[in-house]
Amino acid sequence: MANSYSPDSDSTTRTLLRRVLDTADFCTPRRRRSARISAQRALLETPSSRRQSTQTKVTARQHFHGARSTGRLVPGQASGHLEEQTPRTLLKNILLTAPQSSIVMPQVMMKPTPAPQVQPSRRESSQGSLELRLPELESPPTLGPVLLGSGRRKQRLRLSMFQQEVDQEPQELPISQEPPGNPDASSLTSSFKLTFATPLQPQSVKRPGLARKPPPRRAIDVGALLQDLRDNSSAPAPLGDSLRIPVATLLTDTVLEDTQPFSHPLVDHSASVYHSLPHPHPGPEDAERCLPCKQSIMMSKAVATPSLPFLGLPPERAAPPEVTEAVTFQRAVEPEEQERSSEYEIISDRPAVQHPLSTPSPSLSAEPPEPVLARLPSRPRTAGSRPHQDPHKAGISYYTKLFSFYAKMPMERKALEVVEKCLDKYLQHLCNDLDVFAAHAGRKTVKPADLELLMRRQGLVTDQVSLHVLVEQHLPLEYRQLLIPCAFSGNSVFPAR
Amino acid sequence: MALSSTISQRKHIKRRAPRGFLRRVFKRQKPHLRLEKHGDVLVHLNFLLFVHRLAEEARINACENKCGIIKKDHILAAAKVILKKSRG
Repeated sequence: MANSYSPDSDSTTRTLLRRVLDTADFCTPRRRRSARISAQRALLETPSSRRQSTQTKVTARQHFHGARSTGRLVPGQASGHLEEQTPRTLLKNILLTAPQSSIVMPQVMMKPTPAPQVQPSRRESSQGSLELRLPELESPPTLGPVLLGSGRRKQRLRLSMFQQEVDQEPQELPISQEPPGNPDASSLTSSFKLTFATPLQPQSVKRPGLARKPPPRRAIDVGALLQDLRDNSSAPAPLGDSLRIPVATLLTDTVLEDTQPFSHPLVDHSASVYHSLPHPHPGPEDAERCLPCKQSIMMSKAVATPSLPFLGLPPERAAPPEVTEAVTFQRAVEPEEQERSSEYEIISDRPAVQHPLSTPSPSLSAEPPEPVLARLPSRPRTAGSRPHQDPHKAGISYYTKLFSFYAKMPMERKALEVVEKCLDKYLQHLCNDLDVFAAHAGRKTVKPADLELLMRRQGLVTDQVSLHVLVEQHLPLEYRQLLIPCAFSGNSVFPAR
Repeated sequence: MALSSTISQRKHIKRRAPRGFLRRVFKRQKPHLRLEKHGDVLVHLNFLLFVHRLAEEARINACENKCGIIKKDHILAAAKVILKKSRG
């Protein structure tokens, strides 16, 4: 009960009546029920809930609970008894009639009404509750902003109530949802929508996100496209190159000095061959794109690479003159094989970019970075990356892998470091031992006999297990062939003794 | 941590010997010596057998301690034994 009228600072007639009601409540026969209800409410509501929260709860309950479900069934009899029995009912009636006027008042923000309304709505006829409800629904817009903050707590409560209601009378759902929908998009309705539409909102949130994502992908695609273009230019190269390389290589020397437009492609072509070989990634995406309209696109690429801005290729914009040269050249030279020529064009237009280094042209300043980019990823991968890794470590790491293979158990990462140390140490020992053996034999070369002796001393080679057996057991066939003499056709023994 | 701290057992491994590595190491350690033609393969074999022994010893140690994972200590103990065994 306390929460229903805890903040009674206002002095409206309704509040006064309410107090009277509450105080009188204990005397009435209805007390038990009201007490029960109030207890339930107390359980549901947080003790510190504000008046407005109680208001909204009340309204909500009126929507779901008191108004429709219980209101129509119970009220007829109960209200009759009540009205006869107690003065409270009279007060309630006054309350019921009064609130409409009081609610309309600008004081609405301070509404004390809700609590009293709850009681009557449950005890009395459905009509009264309906009347009560309607004005309140209309009033919320004024309360709206205030309600929003505390709305979430109530929503949970309402949901529980709501579920109960659903269980009881599923038909009422649409009705209960209607009123919130009607009153001109009030805060209450919004809160209701929040409760019911929570799943929907995230979707709506996601959709814009989805809509936003594509552009970045395109941005990424641009980079990929650039590479693909290079790859494409490099990948198809071997096909056409096999035929052309000889010609190109033959011509390169002479052509390098010539700066004629026609000679460019050949020189470039030969240069591109070198590029393409280390970098043999045929861009799959490119293939997809190109296949459907290969010739046209390829041709257009060669022509359009300069105009690629739509793909976001700023550097290639500068290329047009050279490319067009190449295109014209190829059209003149190879009108028959369009595919090849298209590949050739792409190949030729990029090198054309590189070539200008010797024959400076306005576009050069922008172009060179591309070939550099194309080179950098390809070369370090092939040759540069391993030396950078410190070959010693790489070799040791191979044996650590071997260790983890032989161990047949998972192992700690720290343990690997120990293994590496151990291997390092063992390598030193091994070299020292071999040195000593060779020196003892008066040689400066380490022979297999030294290694066999070493392994014999280590207990690896014994009388039962010869070195050849070990070789056969542990080394792949290729090494076995190198180490174990074997008779071959033609009356020859391969590793000659 | 668990994933990064432990290394699962290797199922497959290249059997190709890092011959260049072995030759380079040997040359760096003993610049005055030269390995015979396929000596590096034999060195590889020796190394391989050593690793094999070490791994088995470490595994045995781990099993004795009822560990599912080979730990640093196990390898240290194994190395102590195996390095001693495989002195020239």
